[in-house]
Amino acid sequence: MSAEAVDKMIAAELHLRPDRRLPGIPPKKPFNKTALTIRLTLIGLGLLTVLAFVSFDYKGIQVFQGIYATLLNLKTMFLQPRLHHFTFAAALFEVLITLGLAFLATLFGAVIALLLGLFSARNLSSPLTSAAIKGMVAFIRAVPTVMWVLIFAVAAGLGSVAAVIGMTFHSIGYLIKAYSEAFEEMDKGTIEALKSSGANWWQIVFQAVIPSSLSYLMSWTLLRFEINFSVAVAMGAAAGAGGIGYDMFMASGFYFDLQEIGAITYFILGFAILLEIAANRTKRKLKPGK
Amino acid sequence: MTALLEFKHVSKQYGSETRALTDVSFSVRSGEFVSIIGPSGAGKSTLLRCINRMIDASSGEICIEGRNVLEFRKNELKRLRTSIGMIFQHYNLVDRLSVMENVLHGRLGYKSTIAGMLGLYREEEKQQAYQILGILGLEEQVYKRCDQLSGGQKQRVGIARALIQGPKMLLCDEPIASLDPNASKVIMDHLRHISTNLGITVIVNLHQVETALKYSDRIIGVNQGKIVYNGTPGKMTSEELERVYGSERREQRADQGETQAG
Repeated sequence: MSAEAVDKMIAAELHLRPDRRLPGIPPKKPFNKTALTIRLTLIGLGLLTVLAFVSFDYKGIQVFQGIYATLLNLKTMFLQPRLHHFTFAAALFEVLITLGLAFLATLFGAVIALLLGLFSARNLSSPLTSAAIKGMVAFIRAVPTVMWVLIFAVAAGLGSVAAVIGMTFHSIGYLIKAYSEAFEEMDKGTIEALKSSGANWWQIVFQAVIPSSLSYLMSWTLLRFEINFSVAVAMGAAAGAGGIGYDMFMASGFYFDLQEIGAITYFILGFAILLEIAANRTKRKLKPGK
Repeated sequence: MTALLEFKHVSKQYGSETRALTDVSFSVRSGEFVSIIGPSGAGKSTLLRCINRMIDASSGEICIEGRNVLEFRKNELKRLRTSIGMIFQHYNLVDRLSVMENVLHGRLGYKSTIAGMLGLYREEEKQQAYQILGILGLEEQVYKRCDQLSGGQKQRVGIARALIQGPKMLLCDEPIASLDPNASKVIMDHLRHISTNLGITVIVNLHQVETALKYSDRIIGVNQGKIVYNGTPGKMTSEELERVYGSERREQRADQGETQAG
């Protein structure tokens, strides 16, 4: 009997009677250090959870009543959305402002990241330059966008300028990494071919590297644009950058208007979906024949 | 006839352990068709890339028209590379660009940085590209993207890109290793034609001994970084072949039977 046939038989047997132990099949996973650590961690977490719930100070809150009230709020928000403090056209205009913030940040970020991305791609740059840029970029990315906005607000004051600079900064960090990885994917033979024909670095970059990685570059940039859009909404609220985010902040924190919050959420959602569709269309256009 | 290319005691060392080339000396006349054969890892690719300094030899002299290329500085090196075309096993085209754009890449060495970056080519250059593509039988593919071509067509684009440089020498690194027999024959015929009719020196790394024997003016056999045969295909005997390929060749011959063209 062939080995395959035996395997098949065993599989069939196991399928029919999963509890049965066949000779030659290990009864259970060997118990080693890793398994022990995982088990202890899980038990520890479980105990902590129980302890937390037992020792909570509930201050007389009725859990089910609370859930019911929240659901009621959500119902008001999303099933009866209405604008009270501004018109539909004004809301549209505010969304466009948010979109503009995101667009500027992405544009600045993309241009700067393109250049630095080239210098940080290992196949196009010296190991030292590449490592230096990559290290710096890792630091920029580690700090959240909001923090960058607040840092730049020291110089520019809270508002759209700080928001755009801060978002640009984080976009640069993000896009350098994405771009340089796209460049590193590039077939090194093509670079060798152009080098051997006497082309210089800039010519190789513009004639071979960028055309070859264009679709990657586009999809990363569009993805970052989507991220920047949602960040710009938050920045409108947190950094006073204006746009729909600021109206959202006013509606929730100032007017306490649940219906308006719902309406604005739908606005943002609608635009996010539109962006997504537009991005996908553009990407598909860039990849004909594949 | 004068020697166009001369290797004098060239060695190449990678790190402290690996020796890719050991004391290699030979010369190539202008217009000659030379095949370099040898087992994988014998140093054929390194040898070829030392000529246009894609790899720097560790010691010795490599002279082209009497000048040692190892001493070339940036601008001289650029001029040297511009005057030598190179063809690769995997074609190394920019797949997303059209055939025409890929061929015109061969002119980049002659252009200013800005013009090259933006791909601004003169009308004559475009016409020349079109003519060369015509000779290679690719008129109908001129505006196709390279990823829509077959392997044989891609390699012909590679040849066109090398030819538009106006080279004195063509270096071919395993040009037919990824092609089927028919496409291989087309490519080898073109290379032979380039050597005979245009007077361009062609140096080809080959795996296929029969092809090498059939097309070349001269064969250089390399084994473990040393030249073990240097002569005309006619004088290549089976003993010589065994020295080039070692035991590997013996096994191959057992598979193929004793096929040896001369």
